[in-house]
Amino acid sequence: MFFHSSRARTVRAAFLGLMACATLSGCITAKMYVDPALPKVGKTDMPVLPQPHPVQVLFEFQTKGNANSRATSEIEPRVIAVVSESGLFSKISTAADLEGAGILKIVINNVPLTDNAVAKGFGTGLTFGLTGSLVKDGYVCTATYTRDGKTTDVVLHHAIYTTIGNHAAPEGLTPMDPSSAVHLAMDQMTWNVLKQLGEKKVL
Amino acid sequence: MAGARFTLHRLAGLLVAGWLAGCAAMPTPSYQPSVDTTQLLLQRRDASMAAGSFSAASDVPNRTLAVRANQLSADGIDGTFSGYLRNALIIELKTAGRFDEDSPIRVDGTLLRNELNAGAGTGSATLEAHFTVTRRGARIYDKSLTVVHKWDSSFMGAIAIPAAVQNYVGAVQKLLQKFLTDPDFVRALGQRSAQSAQSALSSTRIRTGDPGNLVR
Repeated sequence: MFFHSSRARTVRAAFLGLMACATLSGCITAKMYVDPALPKVGKTDMPVLPQPHPVQVLFEFQTKGNANSRATSEIEPRVIAVVSESGLFSKISTAADLEGAGILKIVINNVPLTDNAVAKGFGTGLTFGLTGSLVKDGYVCTATYTRDGKTTDVVLHHAIYTTIGNHAAPEGLTPMDPSSAVHLAMDQMTWNVLKQLGEKKVL
Repeated sequence: MAGARFTLHRLAGLLVAGWLAGCAAMPTPSYQPSVDTTQLLLQRRDASMAAGSFSAASDVPNRTLAVRANQLSADGIDGTFSGYLRNALIIELKTAGRFDEDSPIRVDGTLLRNELNAGAGTGSATLEAHFTVTRRGARIYDKSLTVVHKWDSSFMGAIAIPAAVQNYVGAVQKLLQKFLTDPDFVRALGQRSAQSAQSALSSTRIRTGDPGNLVR
């Protein structure tokens, strides 16, 4: 009898523990928010060029200044798609196979803007999300366009906020899943640097 | 008794499976050319090159590298890090329009050091390779180059291990950039280009009767 009641208690405790973990782990999901500071730019904001030139696009995603090949592979097609959609160039290639092409080098560097982000995340995990945390990731986008020996640079900054666990969202921002937020931020930066290069009349 | 043994076997199996999963080999990420190297090559307009054979010294790990309890496996065509380096060179040259497999200029390489360390505070990768460049079989460049690449790591494996894997590619980028921008390499390629230009100018002078005092 003792054995049976003890076993039942153990099973019940294990079940409740599992339920608690499953419920609480739902609180540890990450939500991302794209900083609203960067202007929303699209194809209609691009200047119309009388004679667009071909371009070779070089893209690199960096993490704290070091090349991040996996992220480069993921983001590069999006950057190429935006450059193509902009209508600013007659032909686009990632290889040196276009006669008379300019070179558009775009580097996006992910820099952490929150101190001790790992420690904060660790604390959130330890408390099963009850102590939430907010992390701000910065992105510095540098676009360099070179043609006929003339080089023009454009630099802009962007940010993504991430809340983990029980933390209020940044005011007025819509939560997004991580992939959508990152893609939106990358697209926005590419559109903006293209617009700025177009306004400098160097394309 | 039999039930307990079965449970124990199952538990042991799960432990082994979990342990092995923790030690799974991770492939080296696909190589991405360095934008800075590409830009430098595009500006320089060197001759095109072919990639010859790449190998590793006998004491150099050429198929896997330990990253804490995990293994980074080479992802080259032949499953070796020397093959990965060769493939990376081809990608760099192709991106800058400087690859030609029939070129008389050929680059061969030997990996001399191949180290990866996912430390608790700082991670590092040390790569050393000996590069030999020949033009129509004649050696024009013969040099060993080393790079030490460092990055912020973490005591947490979930952060440190992916960072080490990513940064191994960065170390390969740095090694190739060091080679392709090495002044001795540029000079070795340029000497011939200068000689070609000089002979082209000489033949022009012969045809036109130009005394050549404008050319130095």
